[in-house]
Amino acid sequence: MNGWTGTILKVDLTSGRLWRETLPAEFLHAYLGGRGLGVRLMRGFHTLDPFAPEMPLIFAAGPLCGTTAPTTDRLAVVSRSPLTGTICDCSSGGRFPRQMKSAGFDALFLSGASPRPVVLRINGDTAELVPADALWGKTVPETIATLADAGSVAAIGPAGENGVLFANIMVGEGNGGGRGGLGAVMGHKRLKAVVVDGARSVTTIADRQRFQLACQDVLRLFRASPIIFGELGIAEYGTPALVDLVNQRRMVPTENFRRTYFPESRNYSGPAIRREYGAQKGGCSGCPIQCLKLTPRGEYLPEYEALSHFGALNGISNLAAIVRANTVCNELGLDPVSAGATLSAWGEGRGRFPAADELPGLLADIGHRRGDGALLALGSRRVAEQLGNPGLSMSVKSLELPAYDPRGAYGMALAYCTSNRGGCHLRAYPLSHEILRKPVATDRFSFSGKGRIIKIAEDTNAAVDSLMACTFSFLGATLEEYAELLSAATGIEYSPQSLGETGERIYLTERFYNCANGFSVADDLLPERFYVEPGSGGDGIEVPAIDRARFDEELQKYYRIRGLTPAGTFADPRFLEKLP
Amino acid sequence: MYDQIAKYTRKLVADRSALHGWIAFAAQDDHLLTAGEPYLAQLAGDVLGRLDALGLVAARPSLPFADFIVRRTSDQSLIIPRDTETRTFLHDIPFVRSDEFAAGGPELLARLLGNRKGVIVEGVGIVAVGAVTVEQAYINYSSVFHAVFVKYLQDLLTGGFLLPGEREALEGFRSDWLRPLTADGLVFRPGPLTEPALILSEVTTVGRYTVERGLVDSFFGNISCRGDDMIYISQTAASLDELDGCIDPVPFAATSTTGITASSELAAHRRIYETSDARVILHGHPKFSVVMSMQCEREGCEITDCWRDCPHVRILGGTPVVAGEIGAGGLAKRVPPVIGESGRALVYGHGVFTTGRQDFAEAFRLMVEVENWCRHEYFRRLAER
Repeated sequence: MNGWTGTILKVDLTSGRLWRETLPAEFLHAYLGGRGLGVRLMRGFHTLDPFAPEMPLIFAAGPLCGTTAPTTDRLAVVSRSPLTGTICDCSSGGRFPRQMKSAGFDALFLSGASPRPVVLRINGDTAELVPADALWGKTVPETIATLADAGSVAAIGPAGENGVLFANIMVGEGNGGGRGGLGAVMGHKRLKAVVVDGARSVTTIADRQRFQLACQDVLRLFRASPIIFGELGIAEYGTPALVDLVNQRRMVPTENFRRTYFPESRNYSGPAIRREYGAQKGGCSGCPIQCLKLTPRGEYLPEYEALSHFGALNGISNLAAIVRANTVCNELGLDPVSAGATLSAWGEGRGRFPAADELPGLLADIGHRRGDGALLALGSRRVAEQLGNPGLSMSVKSLELPAYDPRGAYGMALAYCTSNRGGCHLRAYPLSHEILRKPVATDRFSFSGKGRIIKIAEDTNAAVDSLMACTFSFLGATLEEYAELLSAATGIEYSPQSLGETGERIYLTERFYNCANGFSVADDLLPERFYVEPGSGGDGIEVPAIDRARFDEELQKYYRIRGLTPAGTFADPRFLEKLP
Repeated sequence: MYDQIAKYTRKLVADRSALHGWIAFAAQDDHLLTAGEPYLAQLAGDVLGRLDALGLVAARPSLPFADFIVRRTSDQSLIIPRDTETRTFLHDIPFVRSDEFAAGGPELLARLLGNRKGVIVEGVGIVAVGAVTVEQAYINYSSVFHAVFVKYLQDLLTGGFLLPGEREALEGFRSDWLRPLTADGLVFRPGPLTEPALILSEVTTVGRYTVERGLVDSFFGNISCRGDDMIYISQTAASLDELDGCIDPVPFAATSTTGITASSELAAHRRIYETSDARVILHGHPKFSVVMSMQCEREGCEITDCWRDCPHVRILGGTPVVAGEIGAGGLAKRVPPVIGESGRALVYGHGVFTTGRQDFAEAFRLMVEVENWCRHEYFRRLAER
């Protein structure tokens, strides 16, 4: 088989049994890999409690992983989120995905719970569970350093071990499988890490000449994109390139979304980080963009979301403190977005946001679930409820919102609500057209057409996340070029339209799972604050509160476009049975 | 969406890329709507209803070049644009012969548009889709029209007239469609400009001039003016005739990344300012300049991807011609060294850069001169072949 290996490694952590299975070709063709494959493999398990031993934790690569297709050496980790209760997938890069594919696996299917801490070690053709008592309690860097000789590592830190509901799985030290707390699922399985050393590249390509031409087309579009390779773009500054822009657009969440403008953000802008830390490029294997930034000593510097949520969202402008907070998250295996947002909600609730020098201690308390951290480890929704003020949680479906205020971009407002993993900007990535003008600009203060636009983008990104290409690639390239890459690699003809249909299948499967777990229109809603309080206008930009009636109208349009009922559910309870 | 459809219908008429009265759009959010010439509107709706996209335009081009291209070939089903801009974004443009369209209808067009942004339908026109906006459909139509225009004129230079009616059509194009290209009647604010508000106003005005005088199609090109410590440059994907609110101030010193949304040619503009006494820069894709930039007469040359790899500087009517892809693809390195003296440069298969040492009057005049020279030279060479 070209593209895929056609093999999955299954591991029953309860019994310690490991075995290989052949993946049905029709699954691979219909769901591609990565997120789509993982979501399909979740069928039948999707209503289990996230911490039930039988709940699978799935690692899946895409059909282009292991090739030279730009930005496709990525990995999806899929399960049900303990933070949100929704289906959840996290995308990360690093070197682990290529190693996993080179070991001969499209996916790992990890179920059960080990009686003691273990590491799953894959070396070429052999796979085994090895005791890891000595690693339990270790930080992510310590774990990776211990296991590095055995290959590339995906590991949890103390946060995952202790069941923090927004614990990450760290894929290498700087790539977090973030959002949704799948690190806690891994911790409940007593699986400290997966380490893999692939023997050789096993991804074969059906038509190498066609493939190379498609690669050239993609790279040409990357070079033509000011967002990617422009002198102010993410290849130069990483995602911190967004700090100045989002603030200038007056949509930077500030002090728990009470305001949308934070002039002190210039202290942690892309140029400021470059100046203060001598930021150097780093990133995933096979990626020409290299958007991660490191210090000369190899310390990973924060990405935009972490900067903004430890910064503006908590009223902090001290760059060193923000960098330190991000490093602590990487060490403990914490999602910095949820961590920063939870601290902010808690700060507003108690009438004082955390001071810069309090961040490391508070984060450590969260990771170890001690002191105030015991409560904070539950995420902002549960914190706000326990404080008796649920409105403090700036989340959708319990997932803390990222660093783009929805009052500054109405497609984003809708996308936060229709995202199947909760309040996330990456499912539809409306930032691309509402702020970054790609492929064309749309009016960020209008809902007109956004229902259709968000639906198309969700389908597109579901396909992208299943090809396991990086979202940033699509600030230059499109599905046209990636369909060509996929066709050339696999020998099966795909088109942007067919990939969109694949994405729709994946999206609707996820939505169906969520509906089976009780989610509906009542959960597709922003926090009340956004409908009643304006943002911080100025410089000729008004940031009014969102018109609730207009929002609801567009949400209903979206449901009709999706073929859902007015309650956001499926009219046909046997919908899933009709899908491959 | 009707307001968007009306706006882009007007634009297609104003830029004369489509025949008045032969334009239709379809758009859909939770329901499908169509507007325009009834036959084309029906077709547009039938095609868009089969696609997961927001907008679609079907229109008859104002020139017969697309149909001629189709009929000049008997064994192909697509054209590959020769200009680098549209080739970068379109890759190729499928075409459907009239008998194929009669058999395949909207289903066939939907299948092709499921893979590409625009398609040529013999005897019908250009059908282009916009995934997220009606504007995007208009832009893709405009790109196909531009690519076809350039390719057909090049084909004539290399292959001559092959079909009945071609010569007459070209003569009609030259006498009726083409208009004298001048800067006459335009008012430019005398420079150098230093006040930010005046700079923004002038950039907006001159951007509109370039579209109105046919130096660029609305969506292509970029424009900038330097202030004391800033470059004021049009944003990426901005229409030059609608620049109000779409101009990024970018500090010369890299102290802010707000300009991440600036034109992909920011690096070229910055380098030109750093290495010359230019105060303003215009970049457009006037069609005859694009055609002539690709007419290289070097013999025995082994370079095949000239638009990217050619290291030579040719001179065309006093204007240096260099190779280089868009954005970070080489153009920013090759244009600045050659533009200083004459204030003008051609990029192979791409377009024209001109500068002004005081204000836009000079830059605009130079671009008009370059395009007029290329237009004249084109017809001279065509007559000579």
